[in-house]
Amino acid sequence: MTATTRPGFKARSDAALANPTLKTAIDRTTGTAERKRAAALARFAEYEAARSRGSAIKDHVIANLDHYLEMFERNATASGAKVHWAATESEACDIVIRLCREAGAKRVTRSKSMLGEEIGLPDALGSAGIERVETDLAEHIIQLAGEHPSHIIWPAMHRTREQVAELFNADHKPPPADDEAASMVQSARHVLREKFLSADVGISGANFLIADTGATCTVTNEGNAELTTTPPRVHIVTAGIEKLVPSTSHAMALLRLLVRSATGGELTQYTTFHCGPKRPGDADGPEKMHIVLVDNGRSEMIANEFRDMLRCIRCGACMNHCVVYRQIGGHAYGGTYPGPMGAVLTPVLDGLAQSRDLPFACTMNGRCAEVCPVEIPLPTLLRAWRGRSWRAGLEGATMRAGLGAWAGLARRPGLYRMASGIGVRALRLLGRSGWIGSLPFAGGWTRHRDLPGPTGGTFMERYKAERGKRPEDRR
Amino acid sequence: MSARDSILSAIRTGLGGSRNDPAAIAAEAADLLAAPETIRPPLVAATPVDAFCEKSEALGATVDRIGSIDEVPASVGRYLEGQGLSAEIAVESAALFRDLDWGDLRPRLAVAPDAPAAVGLARHGIAESGSLVIHSGKETRILLAFLPLHHIVVLRAASIVSHLEDYAALLVGHETSPRNAVLITGPSGTTDIEGSYVRGAHGPGFVHVILVFDA
Repeated sequence: MTATTRPGFKARSDAALANPTLKTAIDRTTGTAERKRAAALARFAEYEAARSRGSAIKDHVIANLDHYLEMFERNATASGAKVHWAATESEACDIVIRLCREAGAKRVTRSKSMLGEEIGLPDALGSAGIERVETDLAEHIIQLAGEHPSHIIWPAMHRTREQVAELFNADHKPPPADDEAASMVQSARHVLREKFLSADVGISGANFLIADTGATCTVTNEGNAELTTTPPRVHIVTAGIEKLVPSTSHAMALLRLLVRSATGGELTQYTTFHCGPKRPGDADGPEKMHIVLVDNGRSEMIANEFRDMLRCIRCGACMNHCVVYRQIGGHAYGGTYPGPMGAVLTPVLDGLAQSRDLPFACTMNGRCAEVCPVEIPLPTLLRAWRGRSWRAGLEGATMRAGLGAWAGLARRPGLYRMASGIGVRALRLLGRSGWIGSLPFAGGWTRHRDLPGPTGGTFMERYKAERGKRPEDRR
Repeated sequence: MSARDSILSAIRTGLGGSRNDPAAIAAEAADLLAAPETIRPPLVAATPVDAFCEKSEALGATVDRIGSIDEVPASVGRYLEGQGLSAEIAVESAALFRDLDWGDLRPRLAVAPDAPAAVGLARHGIAESGSLVIHSGKETRILLAFLPLHHIVVLRAASIVSHLEDYAALLVGHETSPRNAVLITGPSGTTDIEGSYVRGAHGPGFVHVILVFDA
């Protein structure tokens, strides 16, 4: 999917900040997620060891990715599934559409998959004239609203309960009893049930691809994966090539990290391993299973500075803990993946020229890296994009002039000290109340927030004052 | 060049060549599973069975302990009565159930799309997480575990394993894997609307485990 760069990141985030209900909606979900994750990790004393091991498992897989892909292909084929390879998003969509046509599909059910969103599968199915039924509750909501997901775990988190009720009242026959969450879930259960059972093809994603069994692993809380993949004649899986793990045991080690980091649970309600089509004599299941392995920029990341990003297990903790995401929400990012991991991935998927604002929409506070269950150094990767953007000449004249002036000062220590001395005094004057509410010539910094005023002198002034003192006397 | 060849060749170029040493790779992968107790939580009770029960109940499932398979119909009857449900109930077509005396209950093989309750069979329990493991097969319909509002699951206490890896170790190679293996951990639920938890999204809103302590 290409980024919806018009009207531009700044305009999108301005609109998000001006939206009166968005902040409330984001805070409700991310706040709960943050608390639950912290509680889950407090009960998991082995977390740090599990986290290093999880990172090592993913590194091992990436270092031997060709080996594991071939092993997976061998075992999946032996289980009766057919494996397809797609280098790009359009190749992946073409394969899925062709398989749907071969199956004579009129109605397709889909169990939430971010890879499916990444390759633009919802639109591709629509263009092919195939009815698409999203079965995850949140995906159902955004399908009705004609939107894209704003979060990788809670795609509809930008909508309040009242807004969901409005959509369901217009679409569901009969409409939900009232606008309580329970009534609306009940209504969706009823409406989607008949569609599950009459679909020709079911499409799911995969959280893991198990090399030594050829199985795909999917996690859901609602139970929509089985209802999507069992009744239809054909089951299609689309998955990124970085999802490989050596065995089911390795998947289990990563599942412990994924679920705690995503929702604060210990395991999702349904952890499903799909391995091939219906066996002879099986009481239910599809006649055919297809697995589409999608590269879409991933193989290139192996050799460049973004290789660590291939460890990502899509838990969403980085965005739940991101001060920027929590102000602007997911849609402002304009790509498939929002938040810190999205700001690293979107330039890979959509090109840096389309998305150069994203690596800059970051305070470098490091919380994302701190909460990442597979130790991805997200701020370092964002900084790498900033460097590339500079080298590619994508920065505007103001930025280049500003950085040029700073570089000139930084190379002349005397001048630098004088300038920072003036700067800190000016800021102290502006921040007499302790906070700076507006800045001349830099209103963008203070339009949506206040900055804390400086409390002391410059770094060098403090350094000189403290240098002679014993540690216990230092401020 | 096919997409397959171009992807694999891009990966090998990125890696600076292929290692092509399956034994060394397998040894490394095995090392990554060493000392499992250091990377997983301990059980919440002294025995796997007690830990399984404690976890299940914490997840919102209910557990009835019985002494033999013959007591399953009585246990099912007690649950249905307690929940105010009809005695007409969907039952898995397992040989184990066919020979039971269902008494006043009216077991049916068919499971309706909006079935109030169904009785199924779990292959394993997992003590670490309180999960029930269901495998698709000749005698187990996956849909029976997903369509009803109340999922009643018969589980033999002896089939409870301790940790996730203990179950995973049973799935090695495609020959040992069923089409669909699902770990059910508590009732279906969602937090998709404003993050507030609602039970019974698409799958069952209630899970009742009948734990059989037979030899």
